[in-house]
Amino acid sequence: MSMLSRIADNLFWLHRYMERADGLILTLRNTYILSFDKDIYETVAYQPLLHAFTGLNHEKAALLEHDIPKLLQFVVCDNANPNSMRSLVGKARENARGSQDKITKELWEQVNAMYHYLHQPDMPKLLLEPEALTCIDHLQQQCLLYNGIVDSTMPRGLGWSFMNIGKYIERCLQTVNLTDSYFGAIGYQTNGQEDLIFWRRLLLSLSGYELYLKNNRGNAHSRQILAQVVTNPDFPRSVIYALQRIEKYLQDVTHDNPIREVVALQKQFGRLRSLVEYTDVNMLDSQNLRPLLQNVRQQTWEFSSALSKIFFSYT
Amino acid sequence: MALVTELTDFKGWDEMFTFEGVRDRYRQVFESLMGMSVESLNRKDRQASDFFMNQGITFTVYADNEGIERIFPFDIIPRIITGSEWDMISAGIEQRLKALNMFLADIYHGQHIIRDGVIPARLIATCPHFLKEAVGIKVPHNIYVHISGIDLIRGADGVFYVLEDNLRTPSGVSYMLENREVTKRIFPEMLPHNRVRSINSYPLELNNILASLSPRQVEQPNVVLLTPGIFNSAYYEHTFLARQMGIPLVEGRDLVVDNHKVYMKTTTGLQQVDVVYRRMDDDFIDPLVFRPESILGVPGIMSAYRKGNVALVNAVGNGVADDKAVYAYVPDMIKYYLNEEAILPNVPTYRMENEDEREHVLANLESMVVKQTNQSGGYGMVMGNKATQQELENVKISILNNPRNFIAQPIIQLSTVPCLINGRLVPRHVDLRPYALCGADGIKIVPGGLTRVALREGSLVVNSSQGGGSKDTWVID
Repeated sequence: MSMLSRIADNLFWLHRYMERADGLILTLRNTYILSFDKDIYETVAYQPLLHAFTGLNHEKAALLEHDIPKLLQFVVCDNANPNSMRSLVGKARENARGSQDKITKELWEQVNAMYHYLHQPDMPKLLLEPEALTCIDHLQQQCLLYNGIVDSTMPRGLGWSFMNIGKYIERCLQTVNLTDSYFGAIGYQTNGQEDLIFWRRLLLSLSGYELYLKNNRGNAHSRQILAQVVTNPDFPRSVIYALQRIEKYLQDVTHDNPIREVVALQKQFGRLRSLVEYTDVNMLDSQNLRPLLQNVRQQTWEFSSALSKIFFSYT
Repeated sequence: MALVTELTDFKGWDEMFTFEGVRDRYRQVFESLMGMSVESLNRKDRQASDFFMNQGITFTVYADNEGIERIFPFDIIPRIITGSEWDMISAGIEQRLKALNMFLADIYHGQHIIRDGVIPARLIATCPHFLKEAVGIKVPHNIYVHISGIDLIRGADGVFYVLEDNLRTPSGVSYMLENREVTKRIFPEMLPHNRVRSINSYPLELNNILASLSPRQVEQPNVVLLTPGIFNSAYYEHTFLARQMGIPLVEGRDLVVDNHKVYMKTTTGLQQVDVVYRRMDDDFIDPLVFRPESILGVPGIMSAYRKGNVALVNAVGNGVADDKAVYAYVPDMIKYYLNEEAILPNVPTYRMENEDEREHVLANLESMVVKQTNQSGGYGMVMGNKATQQELENVKISILNNPRNFIAQPIIQLSTVPCLINGRLVPRHVDLRPYALCGADGIKIVPGGLTRVALREGSLVVNSSQGGGSKDTWVID
């Protein structure tokens, strides 16, 4: 079984951009709603979002944080921001357009509808309070709908596998980046005294707050949270969950594939997965947590680039 | 609803009305429309627009550095043709395509038609679309034109005329199919009541023809659709057809030629391609043979084609048969190859290289439409009755400088069909492009085609690039 390299590339990026859009809007929605509460951690506010989802440096991010309407517009519909919702969905749509004969009609129509919503001329006005939340809610619903449509209409096969490798690479990086941001804010202390109000922001951004409440007791939040977001295989936004999914789909695309380089790619991925799988959360401290996160991020980037070279090099 | 039909100063043929009232073929539709309110019709109109928008059947216009997507206008009132009219049209197109295919086989091999003095050698020699690179190439089943769109118009006398032949990469067939899908949604009860002939077999017929052209005798030949890419204005149609046929949609960069064979680059390495339905012009298809700067095509594909290792659809070099000056000779071709009279007449055409005809045209420019022979899409066309004195003067100079480059035709009053515009039914001019498929088993023409409509009041130009829209076209029994 095979497919055009260009189409595989398109599908990989379609789903990867949509996963980024999904993570972005989820994080934005929760951060925005939490910003209505005055709490002692409001200084953290939008920093993790801007750090994980935009290329802004600290100074620019700090400036933007004081102008919420501007921030919303920057994150949702600014053409100059390559990672705004509008840009991400636009890029996803370009990839969908290039592979239109391999995606379902339902999927195409959903991406297309989101594109037109985000490109309506009065979009910046919709983001002015008090309507902003309606708009953000709508976008989040549309992302959920997109994922539902993909799941229930796309045929399982090579295209599906490449889409999901893209999605889980993105998810792995998002979780690493957000985790890095929140732990960075407290100096990577794993025995810190931060209460759940602080960690709630991270957990909500990863849809993991309720799971955390169900599974954990006591006050050792930092370490327990680390266990959930990095090594809990049942939490769909944990690093290890994403890597396990990648492993499965990588097996599907390399199975029976005569290209010689796939063996090296499998080994490269095996090293990355082992790095996370054999990490003992109890041994992590302010000295080795940051290098671990950096290492996972670096190796994921390298894996993604090696994958592109083998399967997508058509030019 | 309160129908407003502005037929008072009408001189031509209206497809729905005569001065006595509604034509029989439209009676049911007319009654249904009368039973609907203006609001309901407007709602259906919006519903149709949303359908096209959500499916991404759009083109992009640029304003303030921002791309805005627009749909090609669709008018919800169908255009109706009777079964007996259609049978005549269909026979006429079949006859014409037989002759045109024989002409192409002849012109790229023996050139008997020139030797027998039916077509002047000069006309072919000066045609930019006659390709010496295609001379002597043997094509499967001797078929050059597999896919065609023949443009017809109906004059004030009610007769269908052939306006032009499109034998290279005619577009619009996806609109024909999608227009029908929209009609099914907005007027669900009307189609079965009117016994409208079905058109949905087109992609399957096309797929069968493409697969039958494979040079390799394999169970499942690799058939691909080659598109110039997402920026091409017909890109939607390319994706639509690829999807409907279940074949890969490829770009030039997906293909590579090795040892005179064409391969596509896949996730498991190279795979040989047998048939390429290419939606790009001859000029762009192979930078080694034609335009060297083309990055859309596939270097070396012509060598594979010449060796018979890949089938290209339509064949290379078809442009010589749909050149606007060669068009004038098609009735002669039909006589020469088939010994028959043309069933569908041409629009009277004056050839500018002929001195008598040229003088007649220059003396009557106001009532003529002058067309450049190597242009299409409504470009390079001057309507004598709409042009300024200066424009007419310029045309005159251009004709005298290069007579071969122009033809002229009397301005024909295209027939009209009522359209829903601003909540009123008003007549607008239409043409008709039926789509024909030629395979080893004969010629198949789906009953209907694309009706293009000039939405501007009084305009006779139906091209989408010039303010045209389209309608669903029904053939009813």
